[in-house]
Order: sequence, then structure tokens, then C-alpha cells
Amino acid sequence: MNTTYLYLLVFAILVGGTDIEVNLASVQNSVPYGEYVSILLGLAALKAALIAMFYQHLKYEPRSLSTWVLVGLVMASLLMSLSFIQLHIGH
Amino acid sequence: MAVSNTQIVFDDLYRIFTDLAIVVGIIVFALMVYLIVRYRDRRSSQDPEDTPRLGRIPIGRGHGRNVLVTVTLSTILLAVLIFTSFAAVDVLFPASEPAATWCYGVPAYNQTQAAGQSCPRLEASGHQFYWTFSYPRPNGTIHQDVGMFRVPVNSTIVLDVTSNDVFHDFGIIEFKIKTDAIPGRTNTIWFVPYHAGNYTIQCFELCGTGHYYMTATLDVMSVPAFLSWYNSTGLTK
Amino acid sequence: MSNEIVPARARRWLFTTNHKEVGILYLVTSLFFFVAAGLLALTFRSQLSVPNNNLLSPDLYNQFVTVHGLLMIFWVLSPFAFGFANYILPLQIGARDLAFPRLNAMSYWFYLFSGVAMIMSFFFGSAPDLGWTLYSPQTSAQYTPSIGLNIGAAALILIVVSITMSSVNFLVTMFKMRAPGMKLRHMPVFPWAILITIFMMLYAFPSFLAAVLLLYVDRAFGTFYFSSIQGGALLWDNVFWFFGHPEVYIVLFPALGLIADVIPTFARRPLYGSKYIIGSMIAAAIISFIVWGHHMFVTGIGVTSTKLYTVTTIAVSLPFDVMVIAMIETLVKARVKLKAASLFALGAVALFVIGGITGVYLASVALDHALRGTYFVVAHFHYIMVGGSIMGLIAGLYYWFPKFTGRMYHENVARIHFGLSFIGFNILYFPQFLLLDMPRRIATYSASTGWGPLNFTSTIGGFIFGGAQVLLFLNLFLSQRRGSPSGPNPWDAWTLEWSLPSPPPPHDFDTVPTIAEDGTYHFGNGQGYPNGSRIGNGYAHSHLEGLSPWPIVMAFAAFIFFLGLTIGQPTSPTPVSYKPFWPLIFDGAILGVISLYGYTREKFSVHEESRVESWPFKEVPNVKLGIWTFLGAEVIFFGVLIGAYFFVRTNSPTWPAVGSLFTIRNGFAMTLILLTSSLTAIMALVSAKIGSRNGLIASLLGTFGLGVAFLYVKAGEWIELGSSGVFSVANGLPATSYFITTGTHGVHVFAGMAMTIYLLANTFKGRYLKGDYHAIEHFGLYWHFVDIVWVFLFPLFYLI
Repeated sequence: MNTTYLYLLVFAILVGGTDIEVNLASVQNSVPYGEYVSILLGLAALKAALIAMFYQHLKYEPRSLSTWVLVGLVMASLLMSLSFIQLHIGH
Repeated sequence: MAVSNTQIVFDDLYRIFTDLAIVVGIIVFALMVYLIVRYRDRRSSQDPEDTPRLGRIPIGRGHGRNVLVTVTLSTILLAVLIFTSFAAVDVLFPASEPAATWCYGVPAYNQTQAAGQSCPRLEASGHQFYWTFSYPRPNGTIHQDVGMFRVPVNSTIVLDVTSNDVFHDFGIIEFKIKTDAIPGRTNTIWFVPYHAGNYTIQCFELCGTGHYYMTATLDVMSVPAFLSWYNSTGLTK
Repeated sequence: MSNEIVPARARRWLFTTNHKEVGILYLVTSLFFFVAAGLLALTFRSQLSVPNNNLLSPDLYNQFVTVHGLLMIFWVLSPFAFGFANYILPLQIGARDLAFPRLNAMSYWFYLFSGVAMIMSFFFGSAPDLGWTLYSPQTSAQYTPSIGLNIGAAALILIVVSITMSSVNFLVTMFKMRAPGMKLRHMPVFPWAILITIFMMLYAFPSFLAAVLLLYVDRAFGTFYFSSIQGGALLWDNVFWFFGHPEVYIVLFPALGLIADVIPTFARRPLYGSKYIIGSMIAAAIISFIVWGHHMFVTGIGVTSTKLYTVTTIAVSLPFDVMVIAMIETLVKARVKLKAASLFALGAVALFVIGGITGVYLASVALDHALRGTYFVVAHFHYIMVGGSIMGLIAGLYYWFPKFTGRMYHENVARIHFGLSFIGFNILYFPQFLLLDMPRRIATYSASTGWGPLNFTSTIGGFIFGGAQVLLFLNLFLSQRRGSPSGPNPWDAWTLEWSLPSPPPPHDFDTVPTIAEDGTYHFGNGQGYPNGSRIGNGYAHSHLEGLSPWPIVMAFAAFIFFLGLTIGQPTSPTPVSYKPFWPLIFDGAILGVISLYGYTREKFSVHEESRVESWPFKEVPNVKLGIWTFLGAEVIFFGVLIGAYFFVRTNSPTWPAVGSLFTIRNGFAMTLILLTSSLTAIMALVSAKIGSRNGLIASLLGTFGLGVAFLYVKAGEWIELGSSGVFSVANGLPATSYFITTGTHGVHVFAGMAMTIYLLANTFKGRYLKGDYHAIEHFGLYWHFVDIVWVFLFPLFYLI
């Protein structure tokens, strides 16, 4: 696939995803809040992954580099998840 | 002399830890001193045969077995410490809150006492740079003391701790118990004093220039003395 | 070599980028801060020596105690270690210098100026005075109006920038510049310790940066992240200690690595269990990120959480067990020489054991309920940080002094220094374990507490320990001039730095060594040691090369910029707000732009060796690796900002409904704008690769224009929300979290736009079109990251 075409395709998906998010917001009340937030964050994560894999070229980079990036993500989620646990369990 | 249940928990646990710490410390230091002395450099000494030399990266030395032994022994010791620690925490913070009994003997709380129910919680609040102590009265009002926390001996006190301004820490020194006093938040501790007398309450988190004198007195009174004081604060019916 | 031209002292030291000279700068500066912080300590120890003392007012006491802690942790311990890392590490791995020498120099100058700022805070109102832990809400403007804390915050921000630059630099160096055959497993323990420390720094410091930034914004703009009733205090507690615990390992590990290399040298046998020691360090480093709750045992986080942290904290002592036992076993059937370096190294191990054991006490929740905030804690961490870390680093000083100067120090004076230090240290700190009832950070106490005698004893120990250090300075200072020549290898050691002359020539190795499979190495034409007369491939053959003024100028620009932001006096008493000092801000910004321009235009070439060990990043170029590393730190930084938003939001009983504060349409528009700008950014790369000048210009202009559009919509939103009154910055957490998070993101967008201008200017000169497109690619990596952050911010702030 021609790279420009690929980038345009990714762009289309990103815009489409954003459109879905906004439409979801308008029917927010018919979905349980927890699920609503999860879907939104899931969509965001998907979009982020697309940008990272294709625009930042991670899909085609050596495995060592993408692993390296993953480590950073794991560390960030450590802080968030443990603090989250602290908030919701106990006391 | 045991002054409170919390102090006993601490002393017992501290003793276990210290006994083990001394044993470990003696072993490690004795080993170090022995090895240093035994293998110290003497005029007649020669380099061991595996002395690394410039020109070659040293080869690894050592058995995984020794490491395994160390890890196993340490894990056993640490597991003991973890389990005794858990037992102690469960006493300080039981799954179900202990029934406060400080109000037993106050006429208006006779029904509470008869049913074995819990007296209301008391409250300690930190300010820059003093502590206030609040007692609910049966008629719904609150009596507040500054700098003096009166409780009856041999009764269970359940205390809510909070702060009126900044981050303080409420500690009863001799009782070996403390908890943070955080604005907007309430932390609960409980204790049973065993011996009448005056004890020291102090702030344990740096809260400003007056931090060093942010103390209060815990006055553990005999039950009659406490009841007569509580009555004297008015409207106890 | 002896008739080379050496530039005038000032020019050489101000403009050097040579790793050895930067290393010396770090060492000397850190020792200066060590003395300063130590004098602060002796003063407040004197204050505490007797009850009811009034040598120091409580106000000054609090400042001295706080600045002592801040200086020691940030301006002494790590820089001392990294002085060694700078000088020795490239030599030990057979690298020519660090990957980015000017960045390295810039790290140093940021460090120096940040220290100046910290000390300046004393003279502007009051220095920070709430402990180095700076708990909220006492650090808010309401309770601490003095600008000293603002300046302290600026100092901390500057040093975090310094450390982040160093982290990226060392990481790329260690992964991409090792000598051929120098596999990671061949490295001595010291480089390993540095590598592991860097990993921890990379992921811990962004959290601290976010925390300090939020604190500064709280104070300067009246937001109240940390002073809000909705959990503000605990938010700081969590964010600070998520950084704080790895930080205390960060200041410890280099010394441990050093000790692990010194002991074998003076035991004349290889290190026992070196791979287990390294494995343990890695394990401890990873676990260090999940223990921070043990600093919060009494904050009321609940029994389940505290038990979890007890387990992780006690578990982390296991790797340290392994390390200590392995170091001690090294002495078996050895030939132990008790020189200054080994005395300090072994002494450090002994003191570290005591510190470690008492740490286990503090891991137990029930014990912590008595010991928290007492001198037991103070004793514990000083046994580790001074007994373990400082003593270990002093061992390094004696160990490498001959290599730095070519001269030997006076051995017996050094041994006396050890004896006095060791004894004085224990007299100073052991009594503090027995003061386990005494609160920390109290300016004085009454006689009836009975704490007098132990405090007095401790102070005596302090003076012995402090006084002993005079011997260190005298010994090294005089020996540097008059010591007997040491030769290249006075200890008969075997790591690579000892194969070079003492001191090494500016270019280090004539030829970089090659390590064979069996571990033997040779230089160039098969000789064991370098032939001094042959100048091989390399750079900086003389002190003249590698000079650049931009690191110091850039650091100075940042210094005065941040000073301008924080030096303004409060304008109104309540609510407190601060006036920025615009002249300094402008000067700093302008100087910064000039130095950035000079830096990028300077012809500074870094020679890259053709044959290097680069596992695992063999196919990843240095700069790209550096940028991804930096982005990893940014992920943590934004993660903390977003996490803070979650935290305060979950703690708030009410929050504005979706669409009531922000129109979804604005958010949608901004998202589309930024997504399109990512498309133009990637098309810029495509154009550059195919050599299309017009395509490149159009894409860059498009990206810039879309950035303008994004900021325009955002500005409009800000103005509308701000002027509506209901939603002013000082009014609510929804406002606070929104402005801060999107504001930080906006600054990143602005920076990206500045980059586009720079790239455009170069494109007009014909660059990037002939296969040299990498700058476009690197810009893209950054820009897409900024886009990814917005992809998360949009739903988080507009849709939920």
C-alpha cells in the first residue's frame, strides 16, 4: 500500500473514531457511566495506537524500540492504577 | 508498665523485630570482621590465583546455590515479620470497629450501655498550633476542649482525627499510636488506656513555625472523676 | 602531549563539553553543596543539643532543616555520583565521551544555577521551610506566602530538567557507544548501577516535575490542586512519594555499584555473584516503584492497601540481602587490603546493613504507627544515605583520586579520616534510634521529655563527623599539588580506566579497545596498553576541541527566566498572588532563543565510532533513541497530570455535567485540527523523503497553521470561560484541572510550532531534501506525541 494512501486511511479512521466519540456523548444517558467512560477511553487508546504505529512509525521500527516505549507506558500505568486502588479499596 | 493496649501491641512487635535484628546484625558483622581479619593482607600474602588483571574482563565467580540459601533464609525470616505485622495491624485496625465505652456511666447513655452498643466517637482536630477535642453531648450539642483530652481509664475510646487547616499528625507518644490529621478527611483510631495519669500528645508532621510546641495533654482519669467532669460540662441529660 | 595548547582556565572550564572535565565540575560543586548543607546541619544539631534552646529561631530552624534535606538529596548525593559517572563511565565501557557532549555540559550548568537559586531562596523572604517533603496544604500560598518557596520550586524544576537531560544522555551512551565486544554483561557493576539508576530517574522524576509544577501553579495562579478539601493533601502525598521512594534508591545505587567494584579491587579476587548483584539491583529498582505507600501508612488509606505495601516493602529488602551477602563473600580466601577506599567501602556496607534492618521495622504498619515522624526514621535514612551512600562515594573519591590527578593522597591521614568519620557517624546517628519518641523537625523540646542527653550526644557525634571531613579536603587538596606520582594503576585494578595514564589525555583512548569472546581485550594493533604516541581515530585530541559556549548560556537563560517567574513579591495579601518580574522573564526568554539558535547552528560534530556494541538498539540511531526516551518521560509527566485530574474528580461530590462548561463542538474542532496537523506532519516527512521542496514547505506551513488554529480556539475558550466569572481559575477544581492540564498541553503545542518555524527556515535554505530528512522525522515523533496526549484529553475533559 502506498504510504500516502495509508496515512490518509489512518486519518480517516481517526476522524471517524472522533465522530463516534462525539455521537456517543449525545446518547450518554442511555449507557451506564462506567461503560461509557471505558468505551471512550478504549477509543482514545485505539486512536493513540494508530498514531503511534503508523505516524510515529512504531509498527516498522525494530522490536527493541517498541518494547522500550511499552516500558514507559507500563510505568505510567503503575502510578495511576496503584493510586486508583488506594482510592477505592479500604477506608 | 502497660499504659495502653496499643502500646502493648507495639512493644511486643518491636521486641520480636529487635531480637531478630540483633541476631542478624551479629551474624553479619561477625562474619565481616572474621573475614577481614582472617584474610587480611600480610607481608607474606600473595595474590590469590583468580586475581583479575588488566587486559581481561573478570570471569564470574560464585555459586547460585549460596544466593539461593540466602534468599530462602531471608524469605523465611521476612515472612515471619510479615505475618506478625499483619496480626498487629489487625488488632489496631480490626475488621469491625470496637465499641467505644467511654460514655458508660453517663446517665443519658444508660440504654447504650445496657445494649452493649458503642458510644459516639470523639474527635480530635489539629490547628496551627494546638489540638481541640470534641465530645458529643446526649442533647446533641458538642463540648470542646483545647489542649486537654480527658478520657476515663480502662474504657475504649474511638477517636476521629482531622485537621482544621494544614496537614498535621496526631500522636499519643506513650501509647505508641498516631494518625495523620488531614483537612477534609477523617482518620479513625482506637485505644484503651490502662493507667490513670497524664500523657503527651504531639504533632508529628511539620506544619509551620509553631510545630514544635503543638502539644496537648491526654488526661486519663478514674471513671468517677471523668463522669463528674463530663457532667460539669453542662447539659448531659 | 605536554606541549599542547590549553585554553585559558576560565574559557576551558566554562565551555568544556569533555566528559572528564564535566565530571570534575560535578564533583567539586557537589562537595561544595555538601559542606553548605553540612554546616546547616551542624547549626541545627547545635540548636537541638540542649532543651529549650534559642540558638536558632523556630522559623530559621525549619528553613535550615528543609534546605539541608533538599540540598543533600538533590544537589549533593546524585551529582556526586554522576561526577564519577561522567568521568569514569565512558572509560569503563570504552566510549569516547557521552552521546551528546553539549547536552552533558548543559546538564551541569542547569544543576549549578539551580543550586544558586535554591540558596538564593534564603534571601527572599524565607527559604522553603516545610521539610524536603513539602506536604500540602501548608505549602499553599495561603499558609506560606513567602516567595522563597516559589524560588525553591524554580530551583527544583531546573534541576529536574538537568537530570532528565542527563538521563537521556547516559542511556543512549550506554546502549549505543560501548566498545566492540563490550557486551552489557561485561560491564563492571558501577556502570550497571548507573544504568539502573537512570531508568529509575527517567520514570520517577517526571512525577516530581509534575508535582512541583502543579504546586507552583497553585501558588502563582490561585488554583488549588493540592490545597483542596477534595483530597488535595493526599494527592501531593501520592504523587510526591511515587517519585520519592525511587528517588532514595536513585541516590543509593551508584554508591552500591561503586562499593561492589572497590571491594574486589582491594580483596584481590573477583566479585562474588556479580550477576546476582546486578539482577538484585534490577529487581530492587522495579520493586521500588510499588512501595511508596509505606510513607502513607497513617494517612488512612485502609488496611488492605497498607498490607499490600508492607509486603512489597519487605520484599524489596530481599535483593539488598543478596547484594550484601555477595559483597561480603567476596572476602572469602581473599587478600584484603585496608586502604582508604576499601575501609570506606566496607564501612559503608556495615552501616548500610543497620540502615536496611531498621527499614524493615518501618515497613511494618503497626510499628510505623509509633515510629512515623520520629527520629527513628531520621536515623534509618541517614544510615543509608550517609552511612551507605556518602561513605561509598568517599570510597570512590579515594579510589579514583590518583586517576584524576596522577598523584597519591596521604594514606594514613585518609585512614584517620575513616576512623573519625565512622566513629563520629555512629555517635551522631545511633542515639537517634533511641529517640524514637521524639518528633522530627521540632525546633526545640522541653527538658521534661528527657530527650536532652541523647540529643547532646548526637550533636557531639555530628561535630566529630563534620570535623573529620576537614581531613578529607586538606588531604586531597594538598596531595593534588604535592602527592607522589601514582602512575596509571596504583591499585593494580583491572577495569578499563586503569589502562589509561593518570590523568587520561583529553581524548581518552588512542584507540578504542576491542573485547574478545573470552573477555580479553586489546587496543588497536594488538598491544595490551595504548601506545602514547599513536593518535588514532577519535576527537577532542586537545582541550581546545569540543568547547561550546551554548550550554552555559542556555542554562543561564533558563535560570533568569525562572527567577523572573518566581521572584516577584506578593501583590495582595488575600488571596495571595504574585507579580511576575517581567524584565528577567523577557531577558531569559530572549537569551534562551538566542542560545537555542546558536546551539543548533554551531558546527559541533560528535564522532561516532563505526564499530560499537549497541544491543539491543542496534538499528536505532542515537538521536531517535534519545527522543523516544524523552517521550517516555513525558508519558509519566502527563500521566501524573491526568491521574491528578482523576483523583480530584473522584474525590469531589459534584462535577459539572457534560456539555455544561465546555461545548463539545469546540473540543471536536480542536481534535480534528490536531489530527489534521498530524497528517500534515507525516506528509512533511513523506515530502522530505521524496525531495519535494514545495510539498515540504506546504506541509510544514499547514502544520504550523493548524497549530495556530488549535491555540486560537483554545484561547477563545479560555477567555470565554474565564470572563464568565462562574468558572474562574480560582473558583473550582473543574476549572483548575482543565486549565492546568490543557495549559501544559498548549505549551507543548506552542513549542512544536516554534520547531516548525525553525524547520521551515532551514527548508528554504535547501535542507532536508537530499536524504537528510531526520530532523523532520524527529519533529514528527514529538508532534504526534502531543497529538496523542490531546486524543486522551478530549474525552476526559469534554465528554465525561
